[in-house]
Amino acid sequence: MNRLSLTARISLMFMVAVMAVAAIGALSFKLLTQHHFQSLDHHTLAEKLDATERILGQLNGIDNFEVLRPQLTALLGGHRDLTAIISGADGRVLFAEPQLIDAPGRPPARDTVQTWAWRDGAHEYEGTIRHIAVPYETKPFTVTLILDVSEHVPFFEKLQQWFWAGLLISGVVSAALGWMMARSGLRPLRRVTAVAASISTRSLKERIPTEPVPSDLQQLVSSFNGMLDRLDDGFVRLSNFSADIAHELRTPLTNLMIHTEVVLSKKRNIEDYEENLHSNLDELKRMSRMIEDMLFLAKSDNGLIIPQQQNLAIEQIVERLLAYYEPVAAERNIKLKLAGSGIVQGDVLMLHRAISNLLSNALRFTPDGETIRVTVRSGDESTDIAVENPGEPIPVDQQEKLFDRFYRGDPARREGSTTNVGLGLAITRSIVEAHRGSIWCSSELGRTVFHMEFPHPNCSDGAG
Amino acid sequence: MKLLVAEDEPKIGAYLQQGLSEAGFTVDRVLNGTDALQHALSDPYDLLILDVMMPGLDGWEVLRMLRAAGRETPVLFLTARDRVEDRVKGLELGADDYLIKPFAFAELLARVRTLLRRGNNVPVQTHMQIADLEVDLLKRRAIRNGKRIDLTAKEFALLELLLRRRGEVLPKSLIASQVWDMNFDSDTNVIEVAVRRLRAKIDDGFEPKLIHTARGMGYLLEAPESK
Repeated sequence: MNRLSLTARISLMFMVAVMAVAAIGALSFKLLTQHHFQSLDHHTLAEKLDATERILGQLNGIDNFEVLRPQLTALLGGHRDLTAIISGADGRVLFAEPQLIDAPGRPPARDTVQTWAWRDGAHEYEGTIRHIAVPYETKPFTVTLILDVSEHVPFFEKLQQWFWAGLLISGVVSAALGWMMARSGLRPLRRVTAVAASISTRSLKERIPTEPVPSDLQQLVSSFNGMLDRLDDGFVRLSNFSADIAHELRTPLTNLMIHTEVVLSKKRNIEDYEENLHSNLDELKRMSRMIEDMLFLAKSDNGLIIPQQQNLAIEQIVERLLAYYEPVAAERNIKLKLAGSGIVQGDVLMLHRAISNLLSNALRFTPDGETIRVTVRSGDESTDIAVENPGEPIPVDQQEKLFDRFYRGDPARREGSTTNVGLGLAITRSIVEAHRGSIWCSSELGRTVFHMEFPHPNCSDGAG
Repeated sequence: MKLLVAEDEPKIGAYLQQGLSEAGFTVDRVLNGTDALQHALSDPYDLLILDVMMPGLDGWEVLRMLRAAGRETPVLFLTARDRVEDRVKGLELGADDYLIKPFAFAELLARVRTLLRRGNNVPVQTHMQIADLEVDLLKRRAIRNGKRIDLTAKEFALLELLLRRRGEVLPKSLIASQVWDMNFDSDTNVIEVAVRRLRAKIDDGFEPKLIHTARGMGYLLEAPESK
């Protein structure tokens, strides 16, 4: 049953429904007909009984019964199906037309017509009995009328035959109709399938049109289109990333190759070789570091960065990082200030790295002699860490791009710095996002602020 | 000190052997896990350097069987896979350290020396001297040529590290980790600046120069006569 096609299922269900309705219809028709026949029979019997009672009312003594016989015969004898038996008070049968039938005994009915039915061989009977008071007789006569209703049987047999034939035909017809309806009803689904089947990495831009799709399928189609959007977005990012990687690795590789070839092109003194090897080593370390950073980002893209969950006092982490950056700041007479405190649940190494990247970034753009401020604010629902530094404002349209891979705020980046390959802020963002936090940048009036916001965990110990 | 290097990539193995030999160690080299286990069980090594992915027995298998045989030789893993579960697995099995490829040779050398030192109980020193530089570790004071040198706490910690491991090239990452407890890939430009500032205080105006740069590899502290 599981493997049946949707079309087959729907037509099957349709067929079952049609047949069930037909069966209910036929059954009600049969019951109604039966009831109708029965009431007709009752009516006939009641009429005959009343007429018999009137005739017997004219009886002038039991010995004159024969006088009434022609009347009774006229009333009761003409029917092929009707048997009438009149017996006297002493039980003697006075009248029997057309013949005597032995009816199972029943209590006689008084006012209303009460009938009972029985079967004798191929015949079905319905009978009624009434006691009728007769003039000059102390005890009433007993009138028994028996109706042979066997004629109804072939009718109902016929009905049943018709019913089965009708059921069979309606089954076949409804199955065929159901199949046709299901096929046409499911056409939009096949259209979706066709589009889905045609999609490859080249045609990720294609979308299933939602207008001609019935409302039931809107949800499916829009989720499908949503999936395509995400795939397309991911694919574009991936291809851009690969292109970036190729580009970023190409530059140091070119340096390495040209430099090495030039050095090898003629005999040189040992210092030149040493110089070449050292320069190669620098370049190689840069590449190695870049690959490590890119792997981190790739892992974070795949949700493989799973931070440990510890409650961390952010101000302590910042203090340690400020101590670390102190020598660099001191050299350029930059002051590092920390204010506030707060707790973040997360991974100690990753948070160090995230904040470190922001500080390193701030140091790079802060003019000598200025101050970098780190402010930690603990709110009701989140902890906010702001790293603020004076410097050239970043245009609004670039603020979002800052967190893109290989994006560099300063086009003339420092070649010497091994960290500044444009991945630092991207890594910070992926760490923040792995902690379910958010990061953004604002820059105006000569001050640039990077905000990181980490939501408190649901438990109460997060508020600290 | 005798080391065993098990690395299935012949070039890496050969370079490691050369580098470690030139650093003063006796180095045996094998190309697969089975040989590594055989050597480790039959010869007394001070340290094993095992690649994780090797034909035959992998590094973890070698370690497990070694520990099962009751050998407590320290093991340093080299791995190209940086996954948390790999680290956990290695450390659970009793690995002493791991390095992720690509790594700097100076880093490996520093880790090897750390591991080899771990076993020996270095007597607690309160006082250290090199050339005319005297350092009082208890009073946190440094005196060169009779002159008191003012150092910040971190500068003193850096000097102490260089002194304790004098003659060794210390990579920047190791310095960041030991002095500032920065155990992640941080901006190592900071270390350059910090060493430069320390050097200005220790070496400027004095002879001989004690703090040296091993270009591209790290820093070391040594007196000229010990070269």
